[in-house]
Amino acid sequence: MSGERRISRRELLKKAGAGAAAVGAAGAGAPFAFAGPHKYTGRWLSGNLSAITWVHFVPSYDAWLDPWAKQWGEANDVQVNIEHINNTLLDTRAAAEVSAQQGHDLFFNLHPMAIYEDQVIDHKPIVQEVARTQGAYMPIAQASTYNRKTKKYFAVSDSYVPDPVVWRYDLWTGVGAEPNTWENVLKAAPKLKKIGHPIGIGQSQELDSNMALYAFLMCFGSFLQDEHNRPSLDTKNTVRAVNFMAQMYRVGEDPAIFAWNPASNNQYLYSGTASLILNAISATRTPEQLHLPFSDSLYIWPIPAGPHGRLGLEHLMGCWNIWKFSQNKENAMKFLVDLLKAGKQATIQSQLYNFPTFAKTFPFEQIRQLAAKDPNKPHGKYTVLTTIAERYTHNIGFPGTMNPAMDEVFSTFLIPQMFAQVSQGKMSAAQSVASIKSQVNAIYKKWEARGAV
Amino acid sequence: MSLQWRHRLFSYGVVVPFAIVLAFPFVWMAVTSLKPQNEVFDPAHTWSFHPTLASWGFLFHHTAYVQWLENSCFVGVTVVIITLAIAMPAGYALARLAGRVGRSLGVAIFLTYLVPPTLLFLPLSRVVAQYLHLSDRLWALIVVYPSFTIPFAVWLLMGFFKSIPQELEDAALIDGCSRFGALVRIVFPISMPGILTVVIFTFSLVINEFLYAITFISSSTNRTLTVGVPTDLIRGDLFNWPGIMAAILIPSIPLALVYNAFLNRFIAGFTGGAFR
Repeated sequence: MSGERRISRRELLKKAGAGAAAVGAAGAGAPFAFAGPHKYTGRWLSGNLSAITWVHFVPSYDAWLDPWAKQWGEANDVQVNIEHINNTLLDTRAAAEVSAQQGHDLFFNLHPMAIYEDQVIDHKPIVQEVARTQGAYMPIAQASTYNRKTKKYFAVSDSYVPDPVVWRYDLWTGVGAEPNTWENVLKAAPKLKKIGHPIGIGQSQELDSNMALYAFLMCFGSFLQDEHNRPSLDTKNTVRAVNFMAQMYRVGEDPAIFAWNPASNNQYLYSGTASLILNAISATRTPEQLHLPFSDSLYIWPIPAGPHGRLGLEHLMGCWNIWKFSQNKENAMKFLVDLLKAGKQATIQSQLYNFPTFAKTFPFEQIRQLAAKDPNKPHGKYTVLTTIAERYTHNIGFPGTMNPAMDEVFSTFLIPQMFAQVSQGKMSAAQSVASIKSQVNAIYKKWEARGAV
Repeated sequence: MSLQWRHRLFSYGVVVPFAIVLAFPFVWMAVTSLKPQNEVFDPAHTWSFHPTLASWGFLFHHTAYVQWLENSCFVGVTVVIITLAIAMPAGYALARLAGRVGRSLGVAIFLTYLVPPTLLFLPLSRVVAQYLHLSDRLWALIVVYPSFTIPFAVWLLMGFFKSIPQELEDAALIDGCSRFGALVRIVFPISMPGILTVVIFTFSLVINEFLYAITFISSSTNRTLTVGVPTDLIRGDLFNWPGIMAAILIPSIPLALVYNAFLNRFIAGFTGGAFR
């Protein structure tokens, strides 16, 4: 084809560069296209406060928190800067800040960071001040943020999140079952998987798997520690629970559960695949918001009952920490007191995701009334949240309390590992439990030697 | 069928499936970026959907996306310059250091590349915050990134410089060049494919880096692309897939064009040190 003119790479690059420059120049003229976010050009407030928190699973909460913090700053003559990051990155950031002995004045995490007890101030004055007007600090919050041995509040909790089982009514009735007991879940699992809708309980090194499997163990009468915070993992009940979950995986789950992150079970549900997951109500709120075709079929129930009963865990425990190296401790403390007092608004703006940790902030009865008015179908489905919160939600480390050893066991994801290595056929349940038990005991001994447990 | 046609058929038979596989992610990104959020999860709307530019609008109007791009480019270009400035003379020196010392030093430098950032980020965060006072500044990344780009670049260039005959330099020296002159006028121009490889790889490593960026940078306006996208476009469990796809597609296209433009030199750079 003699008449055809070929464009060389050099020409192509020149033309592409000229085009890009033209588009850039044109775009720069438009105020919103390339301008980026607004920046402060001057500062006029006398104090500072920096805080880091997660990107909330319910966006309306952040839409409330950020302006609230700004208003608080204006009212208190403090320049407040709140940074939001993905929840999976909070532990990394905490470790980096502790190592650097520098960072945010306020650090929020979704689980109590008891291992940093020596790095934080005693939060007791905050708890006492809030309790003066908002009623008693609830037992779940007390057990999660107070070290009985050292008598120190190593954090203050503003909220906890109930952890119901979220299931597809249409699919479950299709196979003639209901997830009211773990035995029923196991029976229905192969049928559900056969029609392309497996169970979605993770066995990965991440927060949701951790929470689900801790709760699952408790339903089988297996506990990481006893009421005196002594390790108590190695029991027949633990082996039984691990075998049960391995069986559940074999007949009713996908191998993807071993590589999940905290959002994976939600994604699994939103894609229309999962028939059941254990998750907070963000798993139902998002489908409602996106008008997914099955959102009306998503039911929430308390955790299925096991041989030992129905014992659930909080899905998340919102904990604020003030580092000893914080530059603005007083501002941080005042901010927290006011934020905790605004707990009712926080619960409403989070669409009943956050439950307050002080008894009078937003009593259960009022929450129940608000839940009953929720317009989403099936009507009234969120009222069960208060029952779950009151009766079936316990702290990490139940029947004991949170402490550095428990935190380390939790943060190193030993329990998901214990389940996964059996489900994957690498070990027998007895071997896996024995192996994890020895690691748990070593962790407890280490912290006992430091006088923290 | 003539031999030429058979050759063509064979070539296209091999290349076309590869091209389809390699182009598919770009097509998928483009398609998803044009979907409304609620149709992303619906298998019925995989290819038939209601196209919208909403996610592109969100990216440019409600996030600091352009700033993240600028930050990534600034850090990338600066680190490339620093890396070249140090790795080129180092690679040359190690290539010309005969015997066991040169080899051992080369291996030792490369070994530092193998230390994972997950081990280093804690001590480095102390260095950055307490000694350098660079917390939440892009310069923190510019100081830290060469710790893994330089070893890689030195190793790559060392192999490349070894492939250049010593006689060429000797001839230049006899003709009156200084050692530095021979380096600049003879060795570096011949090594251009290797240097380009280092440029592209260093830039790619920097653009992809995540852990240091999330650890050392706090404010949204100082974030790089790798941190800004997952932080501002993933709201808890709700992934803004159209926005994420748009955010990734934009830098992918120029990078793909640059790779393509220098493809031959790039391949020469990689194979340069392999044959002597």
